[in-house]
Amino acid sequence: MKEQIMEYASGNEMAAIAVKQIGYDLMGYYPITPSTQIAENLDIMRANGETDLVMVAAEGEHSAAGICYGASVAGGRVINATSANGLLYAIEQLPVQSGTRYPMVMNVVCRTVSGPLSIKGDHSDIMFILNAGWPILFASTVQQVYDFNIIALKLAEQVRLPVVVAYDGFFTSHQKGRCYRFKDDKDVRDYIGEKQEKYPFLDLNNPITVGSYMNEPDIINNRYQLHLAMEKAGELLPELFASFKELSGRGYGMVNGADCDDADSVLVLLGSSYDTSLDAIEEMRGEGKRVGVATLNVLRPFPSRELHNLIGKADNIMVADRQDSYGAAGGNLSLEVRATMQRYGCKANIKSVVYGLGGKDFFKEDAKAMLDMVKDSSTPDFSYYGVTPGMESEEEDSPLFEPVTREKTSINETKVEKVIDYGDTTENGEAVKVIGGSLNGVTAMPGRIAPGHGACPGCGIPVNLNLLLRGIEDPVVFLFQTGCGMIVTTAYPKTSFKVPYVHNLFQNGAATLSGVAEICYRKQQKGEIPPGDIIFIMVSGDGGLDIGMGSAIGTALRGHRLLIFEYDNGGYMNTGYQLSYSTPLGARSSTSHIGKEQYGKTFFHKDMPKIMAATGIPYVATVAESNPADFIKKAAKAAYYAKTTGTAYVKAISACPLNWNDKPATERKVIEAAVNSCYFPLYEVEQGVTRLSYDPEKTGKKIPVKDWLSMMGRTKHLQKEEYKDVVERLQKEIDRRYNELKARAK
Amino acid sequence: MEQIVECKSGLRDKLASGKDYYEIRLESIGGLGANLCGKMLGELGVKYLDVNSSNFSSYGSEKTGTPVKGFIRYCRKEKDIRVHYPVVEPDVLVIFHQALLKDKSVWKGCNKDTAVIIALEPGQEQADEIGCDAAEVYGLEAQRIAMETHSRINVVMLGAVLKIMGVEDITVGEQICKDTLGKKYPDALKGNLEGLRRGYEEVRQIKVKQSGVKKDINTGINRLSEWGYDNAPIGGINPRFGNTVIADLSPSRQGYIPLFIKEKCINCGLCHSTCPDMVFQFEKGQYKGRDMMVNKGLDYYHCKGCLRCVDVCPVNALVTGIEAEHSHKEYFMPNKELLRMPDYYEESGPDGYITSESYLTEKRMEGGEV
Repeated sequence: MKEQIMEYASGNEMAAIAVKQIGYDLMGYYPITPSTQIAENLDIMRANGETDLVMVAAEGEHSAAGICYGASVAGGRVINATSANGLLYAIEQLPVQSGTRYPMVMNVVCRTVSGPLSIKGDHSDIMFILNAGWPILFASTVQQVYDFNIIALKLAEQVRLPVVVAYDGFFTSHQKGRCYRFKDDKDVRDYIGEKQEKYPFLDLNNPITVGSYMNEPDIINNRYQLHLAMEKAGELLPELFASFKELSGRGYGMVNGADCDDADSVLVLLGSSYDTSLDAIEEMRGEGKRVGVATLNVLRPFPSRELHNLIGKADNIMVADRQDSYGAAGGNLSLEVRATMQRYGCKANIKSVVYGLGGKDFFKEDAKAMLDMVKDSSTPDFSYYGVTPGMESEEEDSPLFEPVTREKTSINETKVEKVIDYGDTTENGEAVKVIGGSLNGVTAMPGRIAPGHGACPGCGIPVNLNLLLRGIEDPVVFLFQTGCGMIVTTAYPKTSFKVPYVHNLFQNGAATLSGVAEICYRKQQKGEIPPGDIIFIMVSGDGGLDIGMGSAIGTALRGHRLLIFEYDNGGYMNTGYQLSYSTPLGARSSTSHIGKEQYGKTFFHKDMPKIMAATGIPYVATVAESNPADFIKKAAKAAYYAKTTGTAYVKAISACPLNWNDKPATERKVIEAAVNSCYFPLYEVEQGVTRLSYDPEKTGKKIPVKDWLSMMGRTKHLQKEEYKDVVERLQKEIDRRYNELKARAK
Repeated sequence: MEQIVECKSGLRDKLASGKDYYEIRLESIGGLGANLCGKMLGELGVKYLDVNSSNFSSYGSEKTGTPVKGFIRYCRKEKDIRVHYPVVEPDVLVIFHQALLKDKSVWKGCNKDTAVIIALEPGQEQADEIGCDAAEVYGLEAQRIAMETHSRINVVMLGAVLKIMGVEDITVGEQICKDTLGKKYPDALKGNLEGLRRGYEEVRQIKVKQSGVKKDINTGINRLSEWGYDNAPIGGINPRFGNTVIADLSPSRQGYIPLFIKEKCINCGLCHSTCPDMVFQFEKGQYKGRDMMVNKGLDYYHCKGCLRCVDVCPVNALVTGIEAEHSHKEYFMPNKELLRMPDYYEESGPDGYITSESYLTEKRMEGGEV
């Protein structure tokens, strides 16, 4: 046995430790709760010089999977981690990875698949990839997360298949406990061995083609090879578990059980619930009940024989699924257990329940209840456990507000006039001019968003949304992409919205709203809904226009008439501030730590307005709450173009006191400094013509970017002499962009 | 002030008496560092107390002001901790903030055998009201100690918990602080060790004016129909538009509120433009003989006390006040767009969403700015 040391850690921490000890070459990733901490912990180790792992923060999970694929093709040892919708977004890449037979390891930290959006744990994500051709190890404890990560890579390289290590989000990923790891990284590396490559891709003397165009009659042979590899994995795993036991003292089987031998009733479930059920079994045995519990350590290849050997003698089998294969009378686990038992001629009474969705806690008492239920003849073969019918109240639930109608929002304060040439002619000689829109006047605008939302004190998101909406006098329909703006306004059973609102995931906001707008026009045309302009507003922030950039650009290129509003808080704030592409260079985030080997974020902030302007849309503007009158006027203008011409894009820089680590009270000053440093210049591009809205050089208010950086905890370290070069590079880039902007401006 | 005479809720006694788990629940508000306190309590078990332990926090906890729960379990060294659900019947309940005393969920599962530790306000000698019939109630002026020692309330509470758990030697607590805070922040460490020690020494048994199980601390909470599979609109659709308005966000405030000096107000609307919480109520009126929108007051139900408005007011018509000194709030005006007053207001903090702890934990170790 090799020497080990005790850790007090969570599943995500142990996964990161395993990755570091294995000595992977590259991690391609995109943060998604609850798997994010793996990358975060590795980033800390990177910053401290404990690992030289290359970490690539992709702009979405699809790209993350692509980066991993490329890196594994090129012969690297590659790791990824994701959850829920991230896994689904990457899913197209999974069969490519397995079909072309490139080993890698992906941790799937199981979480509920949206929608409605839930961030908590169940198995609805992992069951989507049963057919992907990846062996799947399922860890039910923190210790197993570490152990299986080590075994997984060895398996992957021996059968040349990518392997998933799955475990429960939060229950296993976040709960800390006692566990052990090898003291010496070398012991881990020796166990896994050298990577063998029969066809090295980067051997220029022996070029190979990867990813042929292949139809019948060949593809079935390729798939058969994959099938054989999976069979091989089933044969190899017991050996790998055995050799790992020699190393660690911890043995695993394909399946695992307690008290199953003489049990008349057995409960089968996956993950942390198995662990919890062990306590239940112990108590029930104490009461003289002959009960047992079983779980699978391996989901693919499905360990049929081993499972039958373990539980086949029981009279009653209750399978608890933490997801549903809707319409199939059970979740995937129970369907496969039923099939297995039938294959071996087992005549047990088998029932199944769906339980614990969306992270609903699983108590010891639940395990006991399930074991009692299976013996009760009145229990249906398949049912849901733990659902509630609801309770009707005697009292009338009358509305708290009047609907925000067209009449109510037409306050006649901010007026848009079409003008021909008002001094700085646009390309086609037309422009629009906004009159009115005073800060006092717009206080008459009824709120489309109700108070009581749950943003942090001093949050910039509602401030920016309110400024935008106060300049728009037509009715609005909202689409919010995932982000803090959405989370804090729509926590069920409450909503802040007093106007129609729909949420969709990061990647797809603008596209979804295009569909909404089309049907609105059609219904208006058919006379099914009243005529009149409606402003369709897509709200994105928290880096939503990284992963959602393609959809936004597509919408702009199609020229769909809607307003894309971005509140840019410079990070994925809704998930604990991982870097986004618009985080400033050098800023600290939970995926760009500061240490002897790392100074914070390593690349420049994205110039999204320029990207959007390049699509040729009629209106692009940047706004800041420090210039509220300008903000309101631009909102009115954007709404005008969004209803008459095509896509409008407005971007606000949005304060995040929590993660910028500054004072809520003084956020407007911080925003003002961002504007005055020209980090966030205020301008518009109207019908192709660029106009500066405010030039701090002319008002004598221009400040070096260093001054702005000094106002936030996330960038305070950049004041130090050792980071002088980082600040200089950022200043240079800001100057370059500003000079270019001035050159373009009329 | 009473001294602790006998601590019946000690870790070792309870485990020796055959109890499977010794359980602690921390009740806190995001920003006070309960998550880290829980982690230190957990790690302490396996490292220095010769028991097994585990811990986790309620997830979705890191927004400033959100209620946070921390759960710590201990058991005998030989036993594995296999349950993964929240602590339901705590042996020790630790309350980090006075505002939480009113929250019914805080008292769930507590009984006469629960030891309760309450962070008292400076100068406070007893607790007004607790929501269970616990026989052992302890308190300490945690915030004051934290300020005096330049430490954080979480280490002060850690010290207090260790005392109540029956940990005889505070050096194990010091050790875990050193392990956690590391050598990276020697200045912060010194203060934190002092805070820890004072928490350990100054926690004492306190009197309670009123105790007992509360039926309806948040009155009227169930007056609306509760949605389940029989009656919830399909697909998670929510037709109760704007119903976050019934949230009373005052627990988010950190002791300060904006005060309105109406005579000075020039109705410029800057406060309205900077307020994230739609607090300012403007109505048509006259100012200096001109028809315009006029600031009528503040909806303190929704004010989170960020004080952005005080910062932007050009004429000092908004100033910072200490909330405790203003039990009657002048110019308190509930949201003027409401059709009817809500049947009740529901006390709440900001909504949680899962965040990661690494960056924030690091920030807090440095002493934190926010």
